[in-house]
Amino acid sequence: MLETVDLCVSFGAVKALSGMNLTVPRGEVTAVIGANGAGKSTLMRALAGLVTPQSGQVLFDGRSIAGNKPEDIVRNGLALVPEGRSTIPELTVEENLRLGGLWRDRSDRGASKNLVFDLFPILGDRASMRADTLSGGERQQLAIGRALMSDPKCLLLDEPSLGLAPLIVTQILELVSRLAKETNLAVLLVEQNAVTALRVATTGVVLNLGEVVKSGPAHEISSDEELRHAYLGY
Amino acid sequence: MTNFIDYLLGGFSNGAVIALMALALVLVWRSTRMVNFAQVGQAMFTTYVALTIQQSTGNWLLALVVAIGAGAILGVIVFFLVIRPVKNSDSTGAIIATFGVLIALQAGAGMIWGGDPQGFIPPVDNAGLEFAGRIWPISLYDILVLSATAALVIGLTLLFTKTSLGLSMRASAFNPEVARLSGVRVNRMLISGWAIAGATGAIGGVLIAPASTISPNSFDILLVFAFTAAVIGGLDSLIGAVTFGIGTGLVISLVSGYSDSGNAPIVALVLLALNLLLKPDGVFGHHGARSV
Repeated sequence: MLETVDLCVSFGAVKALSGMNLTVPRGEVTAVIGANGAGKSTLMRALAGLVTPQSGQVLFDGRSIAGNKPEDIVRNGLALVPEGRSTIPELTVEENLRLGGLWRDRSDRGASKNLVFDLFPILGDRASMRADTLSGGERQQLAIGRALMSDPKCLLLDEPSLGLAPLIVTQILELVSRLAKETNLAVLLVEQNAVTALRVATTGVVLNLGEVVKSGPAHEISSDEELRHAYLGY
Repeated sequence: MTNFIDYLLGGFSNGAVIALMALALVLVWRSTRMVNFAQVGQAMFTTYVALTIQQSTGNWLLALVVAIGAGAILGVIVFFLVIRPVKNSDSTGAIIATFGVLIALQAGAGMIWGGDPQGFIPPVDNAGLEFAGRIWPISLYDILVLSATAALVIGLTLLFTKTSLGLSMRASAFNPEVARLSGVRVNRMLISGWAIAGATGAIGGVLIAPASTISPNSFDILLVFAFTAAVIGGLDSLIGAVTFGIGTGLVISLVSGYSDSGNAPIVALVLLALNLLLKPDGVFGHHGARSV
């Protein structure tokens, strides 16, 4: 579904990603884990079109999308939930959701909204309230809900655990994982919190200083003690 | 007391036009987080366009409609020619550039239409209405100005709160990155903001012209009042711009009535300074909205 080939991104002299190869299949969660500064957020921003890669390719649905504009990428079915509960606090919950699919037909939008409300019922209850009245976990649900409003084929989640209680993170990620299986959605999850991420993921990828050091089935990665000590710090 | 009521009533119509200019400033602020000092210059220019149409056809409504279209187009031109290239480097530079546009528009209008003040004939009677045995300081034309302003404010509010375009524009102003990630073409929204601001300013210009005369510099003082109103209102609040636009109109009328009209700009600046000292976020602004 989503594939990167030798993807390189640098900021001035600093190489954030050097030759990244990654495949994200449909129907499952792929987790990219690694410490702070490993290049995880850069990878996400490059995939979503917010930063332009120096070289390499991003293939989505067989088409090259590297260098495309973010607004076109999301319209083609690749939606990013950026780091830090990216809702717009001044808008209501309903407006935040509506924003996620404004270019789509009204009826398609309605179907997506029902799906989001089924998945996160709290958003339905709070629809007319301003987003800044929500708790952290509810805002993360809203951010994911907004991305789902675009009816994505692939969902990118950047550090959804940031600043949230572990129980809430697990709940949200398990919902996403179930959604991936049930609707054949490809999910790329980027996390510093390796334990939680590997629990819901099928495949795990360990990133260090812009390079993939290991990839394989998630359970293998979480049981590899050496790897954990070296790159994940626990 | 009669004087007080007369001065107060006389300020509404002027206040409505200040409110429209303040609205135009707020619309630009909302879309690109900067103050467009050329706004009154654009309004002056489009008012001359309207004057030309009115002089040749005698049709006020046609003149207004053409001015609205010209205002929108001029807003887009200013955005592309000056603001966009400069904005990429530094927003202070862009603000200075809007002063340049103001001067260029004034010079251009002087070359095309000359520097002599010209009269603009109102579409309805501009003499004080007679009611209950006396003449009031409100004319039929003032009522037209107030109704047009009210209709425009309601229309803009509906546009922003009820339509997809309005939601996209608000999202682009609050958080351009999230808006882009949601599929909104943010650049088009910024341009729409400048176009709507230009059209709003154009309406203000055409509405105020019959109250005095029009010359290349006749709207300069309006900039002082509109800027005061927009800033006190919080710079990103439509309702704030309208409230304090009309409020400024009333204050000007009272100051001019009890002392001298030359004191009005000084009072406006004092109010502006007091506001910035006491409530730097503006009355209707939320915290941090005005930090760039």
